[in-house]
This record gives sequence, C-alpha cells and structure tokens, in this order.
Amino acid sequence: MDRPSESTPDGTSPRTFALNHSRPKSSFQGCSRIADYELQGKLGEGTFGEVHRARSRKTGALVALKKIIMHHEKDGFPITALREIKLLKLLSHPNILRLEDMAVEHPTRQTDKRKKPIMYMVTPYMDHDLSGLLDNPSVHFKEAQIKCYMLQLLQGLRYLHDNHVLHRDMKAANLLINNKGILQIADFGLARHYDGPTPRAGHVVGEGRRDYTGLVVTRWYRPPELLLQLRRYTPAIDVWGVGCVFGEMLFGKPILAGESDAHQLELIWDLMGSPTDETMPGWKSLPGGEHLSPRSRPGNLQSRFREYGSGAIALLKDLLKLDWKTRINAVDALQHPYFKKEPLPMEPHQLPTYEESHELDRRKFHDRKAALPPAPKGGTVGLGPDANGATAGFNSNDAYGGRSGANGGRFRGGGPDERRPAWRDRERGPPSRPPQDRPPNWEDADHRDRDRAPRNRGPGRGPDIDTYIPSYRQEEAGGRRRDDDRPRDDRRRPTSKDSGRRYDRERRTRSRSRSPIHDRNRDRDMYRR
Amino acid sequence: MSSLLANPLATPSQLYRRASSATLPRDVDEAVYFATQCLTQAAGRLLQLPQSVTAQANVLLARSWLGESPMAHEFSDVSAATIYLVSKLGPLPRSPRDVSNVYAYLSSANSALFPSGELPKDDPRAYYQTEADYYAFQQRMLGLEARILQSLSFDTQVSLPHPLAITYLQTLDFLSQPRTTVSLRTIQYLNTALLSPQMLYITHQPNALATAAIYNAARDLGAKMPEHEWWEVFDVDREELGFLVVAMRSVEGWMQKLKEDFPGFGNNMLKRSVVEDELHRRGLQVGNGDNAPRDEEDEVMRMMDSR
Repeated sequence: MDRPSESTPDGTSPRTFALNHSRPKSSFQGCSRIADYELQGKLGEGTFGEVHRARSRKTGALVALKKIIMHHEKDGFPITALREIKLLKLLSHPNILRLEDMAVEHPTRQTDKRKKPIMYMVTPYMDHDLSGLLDNPSVHFKEAQIKCYMLQLLQGLRYLHDNHVLHRDMKAANLLINNKGILQIADFGLARHYDGPTPRAGHVVGEGRRDYTGLVVTRWYRPPELLLQLRRYTPAIDVWGVGCVFGEMLFGKPILAGESDAHQLELIWDLMGSPTDETMPGWKSLPGGEHLSPRSRPGNLQSRFREYGSGAIALLKDLLKLDWKTRINAVDALQHPYFKKEPLPMEPHQLPTYEESHELDRRKFHDRKAALPPAPKGGTVGLGPDANGATAGFNSNDAYGGRSGANGGRFRGGGPDERRPAWRDRERGPPSRPPQDRPPNWEDADHRDRDRAPRNRGPGRGPDIDTYIPSYRQEEAGGRRRDDDRPRDDRRRPTSKDSGRRYDRERRTRSRSRSPIHDRNRDRDMYRR
Repeated sequence: MSSLLANPLATPSQLYRRASSATLPRDVDEAVYFATQCLTQAAGRLLQLPQSVTAQANVLLARSWLGESPMAHEFSDVSAATIYLVSKLGPLPRSPRDVSNVYAYLSSANSALFPSGELPKDDPRAYYQTEADYYAFQQRMLGLEARILQSLSFDTQVSLPHPLAITYLQTLDFLSQPRTTVSLRTIQYLNTALLSPQMLYITHQPNALATAAIYNAARDLGAKMPEHEWWEVFDVDREELGFLVVAMRSVEGWMQKLKEDFPGFGNNMLKRSVVEDELHRRGLQVGNGDNAPRDEEDEVMRMMDSR
C-alpha cells in the first residue's frame, strides 16, 4: 500500500491535518447529507414515495431528490434500487438522466433513534416529461422539434445499446425534457445488461442470444414479439418503443393504447398489418403465436399518418417493423433520410420553452400516467436461479445477470388477459373493485411500483368509487380517449371526505408536465429480471 | 459505459486519514483485516457463491473500512453485511437467513474454519440459532448494509482483475506453460492478494494486479517472460509492478509472522472483545470508533511512533 508521507498535502503538521480532517462523529463521508440541499417543495407524492425539487448548496444547481422507500426491511435495501443506482453510476451520456449524488437524511435526535436513515437519489432537475408535455393542450410540437427530440432519443438509445444495456421500459413518460431542449432517458428500474452483439450500422440486429424475462415494457409500448412471448429478445424491443413514442409525438396521444395484451396485438395488426411469414418470419412458432389466427388486414399506418408526410411514415415503418430481426437499429435510425429532409431538425436551444409545472400534489399524478397500462413485471418465469446460465465465473460486470426465480411464476398460467386486468368491462358504470394483484410479501419493498395499484386499494374503499363516478362521466363528456383506463385513476384519489369535489377539480386541471422522476406505481419483485 | 475496467481507488488523503486516525495499533489492525477477509471467503464458500462474488465482498469490506474504524462494529457482522450486499447485487442473492446460519456456524465451536487438530464433530446445537438470535443478527446486518452503502456512496461496482489476467495470459500465449498451471497460479496470487492487509485491491487498478500476478506466477513456474518490458503493454509501469510483485509475494511470510506474533490466532473467531483484551494487555485503550475523547495529540504521536 502506498503509505502516506509524513508531510501532508497542504503542508501542515500531521496533527493539524488530522484535527482538520477528523471525521465528525457517525458521519458517512460517502453520501451527501440532505442538508447539502435546500428543499424547494415536493414535486410529487404517491405510493411510490416522494420527489422533491431542491437546490444544491454546493453548486447552486436545481436537482430532483427521489426518496427511496423502504417498506419492508426484512431484506434490507431494495434490490431494484440498488441495481438501478449501480447501472446509472456506470452510464454517462447527455441524453441519459444522470445520477449526480446520493443524499442521506438521518432521523433527527428527537425522533425515534431506531429509525433508519432515508436515502435520496439526486438527479438534475428536468422541467417536463414527454408524456406530460404531450398532454398539455397548449403544447404543439412542430415537425422540426419532433426531429430534434427523436435524434436525442436515438442517440441516448444508441449509447445504451452500445454499452449492452437494454432499457426495457421505453415510453414517453420515461423521457424527460428540460427547457434547454434536452431530452434524457430516465428510469432504469427495469434495465439490464444485454448479452449479445451491439447494433452496427447497416447490420440487422438478428436473433437474440439468450433468454430474458418477458415481463417487461409497459403494454402500450410493448413490441409484438414480446406480446407473443419471445424470450430471446434483442435491443430491437427498445426500438419499437421509440417508434411508439415517435408516433405519439406526431399524433399527440399514445398510438397503441391496448386494453389487454390480446387487444394490444390487435391494435398492432391494425396499424402494421397482420403478421405473415414475410412481414414477421417465425411469428407462428412463438409461444403466443401458435394458437393465434389474426384476421388478415393490410395495416392502416399509411392512412393514419398521412398528414405527417411520407418521411415520417417511412421512419415509423422502420421503427415499428413487425420482424424484430430486421427492425432498424438505433445506429441506422439516426441516419434515416427523414432527418435529412426539410424541415431539418432544430437544435435543442432553438426549441420553445414551456412553463414548468411542478406544483405539488397528487393531481398531476392523476391523469395520463395513472391511466397507463399495468406493470411490466419481471421475473424469469419459472426457472431456478441462474437458469439463464450466463452468470458463472468471473463475469462480474454483469450485475444484472441471470436473475430469475422465486416469484417469477406468478403470471404463468392463463392467457394474456390474465396477466393484467383489462378495464374494458368498466366502461359503463362504476368500476368493480380493482384486483389485488400485489403479492403479499416483501416484494413491495421496492422503492417504487410500476404502474400498479397501490397496496391500499382493495376491499372497503367503496366511497372512492362513488366519488370517482362524476369525474369519469365528465371525462367522457369531454370526449377524452382512454375512458376504459380511467378507473385506474381512483388509486390516486384522496380518500372520502372532500374528495369528490376536489377530484373533479383535479380532473379539470390539465397541466401535466411534471418532472423529473415520477414513478408510477410499479411493483417489481426482486427476482424479476 | 464509464468504467468497467477500473475501480474507484482510495485517495492518498483517505489512506493518510485511516492511518492517522486509527484506533488500533497497526499489527492488530492488520490481523483484524486479514481474519475478517478470511472469514468472508469462508462464508462465500459455504453460501456457494462463486469467487467472483465473494471477491467483490472482500473489496467492499476494504472500501468500507477505509472510512470507518474496524472497531465500530463486530467484524463478523461487517463481513456478513458485505457478502449479503454483494450477493444481492449479483446473480445469486442469498437470504438473510442463509447468511445468518453460515455465520453462526462459522463462529461456533464446530466451525471448520478454525481447525483444532481433530475433525470437528457435527453438533448442530453448537450453531443452532433461536429466532431471537436470528432477528438480532439480521437487524445488525441490515443496519450495516445501509451504513456501508452510505459510506461507499453506493459505489458497489467492483471490477476484478481475474478475467483480465486470463485475457493477458492469452495474449502472452500462456508464457509457453501448460494453460491450467499458469492460470491457476495467477489466480491464486490474485485471491491471496484479496487478503493482504495492504489493501491492494483499493490502491491498485485491476490491470496492475493482473499483471503482477502473472509476473509472480511466471517466476514461480520458471516461465520465460518476454525480454522487453511487456508489462507496459498492459499499462503498468515498472515501479507499480515492482511494488505489487513484492506485496503479493510477501503475504505468505506475513501470515507466518502473524501466527508467531499472535499465538492463538486462527484458533477461533476473532472478535472485538478479543482485540480489546489484547489492547488491555498492551496497556492501550480502545474505543469503538466514536470513542470517548482522549488526548488526541498523544494518539497521533503514538500512531506515528508505531509506524
């Protein structure tokens, strides 16, 4: 070991140095303290925890602090949070949300001494997320602006894929945008190491090399091969998500808002045409394709997106290609002719800025986010630990390797609909009680939940249903889409008391941009990957 | 991806601070370090974790003791917390219950880790844990897990030199030796270096460790190394290589000396209470890290003398 020399760096005596540098009692030199940040109020709150806006006292920068919730301490620090942190610390790209710091809040003296410290993830403050921006009726993207966002998104994605990372939850809500026009990919809670070749210019991605869990990607952004239960998937799954996001930016709303996995497939066939041996070779031999005989149709992409021009349609076709083996990769997509046609992409600094919306409360978490389809749930289904076989030996950099197991089998049986309740039966009349799909044990120790019902939903919440109805009707009157998803909103509703009136008001509040990290309810079990 | 081949290393000021604010005389400190790393290795074996996981636990332990006195917590608890944490991050998570059982066994009279000359008789009562035992252990371990994460600022990524060493050997054409022989010897040096109280894994990058281990293995086997300064191909300079070669070779002799200096060493689990007794015997006081105020000048002087 390099023994330090007797003289100290700053030339003082060792004793002075030691005194100056002695650690304060019970300090942790590694993490910042919450006192290093000046809290500026909550950005969001929900069952997932809290996101605060804050200013760093050291650098003056605006940041977002995301609290890591520890519900069940039986297993210690939440494993998904640990992995997300570990991965984020390895990534560094302008279009990937940066984890700047971890901050710790020690319980104050007066409170229970046995309380554990609370950890926060510190990321730069971003003014909006794409989903929120698109929901804001006063926001309209120009084509040159969409191109700018798309280039940034693809650059971020190329970086991830170059580094063998699958994001596995690509969607508008996970894309953060600030008022400098910078787009960043966020939320790596489902990300994992990818074992296979990285995308190269002019080469198709081809076949996957090994199996992963199929329980990833939020449904509206889930590619057909995942819906047909291909386990040996590739970075092409993220590219499909980019295609959905692109369509969403053009169209203003999610373009494939399926109500169930089966319905999602139907919507995909509607858009891209029903699968054939030419358009999607091998689809029949996928586990989900065997018993499927979709009505033959050509696909209405052309007519549905006619107004956005042939360039946009061409890019959409490449990104949303049914054949995952030849779907365009991020490298090639960046060179797509669409980006070289007029109007040329704007530079980020040319983009319009929008009023940031960071008022605290639940109302902003009420709408679209809450209506998103349910959780991708990981879990290498039904296999024992390390069944994927890639983790033996010294492959220590694969922090995400081969996870599988314990609870993975939960959703095995049954058709696609069993995986998640579809809400379609609720379009008329009050919703029935939401299913209790949360597992009973430690899994909700997760620091956040993905698109799932909070644990306190369930029996005995009748009043919520009543208060919910008026707003629902109003929503219908307003001609909003996604009515069928609306019942999920009840999860954010304040309980009983004043909630009816307030909820109505909330429904009218359409300001939805929010930032920076908003987690939907997600529930990830620790063995999911 | 930023640094899959490099690790965060201890800064000189961190090392200086560790040396100057140490609560233990250096020889005791080193003995504690060595014993705890051995314990971690043993636990890794019993938990059926691959060495790639256990070795990371060794490195995390070294990192966390960089900023905290070993006397702040029971050694075996810190060891358990690191291995629990590392296994959780990796492909083979182990439950707190498994970890608890393994450490209970290892610290029992029945433990095979501390051979008493005769074969340990299997007496489950020696390591049976009551629910209360387990609960207490789990609370300590999870508390330490959080503490370690904080003190490391969540830098849990550890890059090990082992895969690099094999790659280097391949480029050197295994020094014209039988592949398994030279690889095994190299890996042995790397694994032994994990136990070195010089904390080599947090003061040197994996490429340097791998190169030094290859150099040592080549010397042991009498293999012919390239004439020119081949280590420079692996980004290691002569000085660093020389230091590491000596450091790795000295671990064995140091262990011998340790056994002479502490006659009872290795006969049972090294506990804080044992260390405290030793310090009392020497007429030294010890605190637990956040210790009672003492004459700090004396303390610093003593540390400097003992060096």
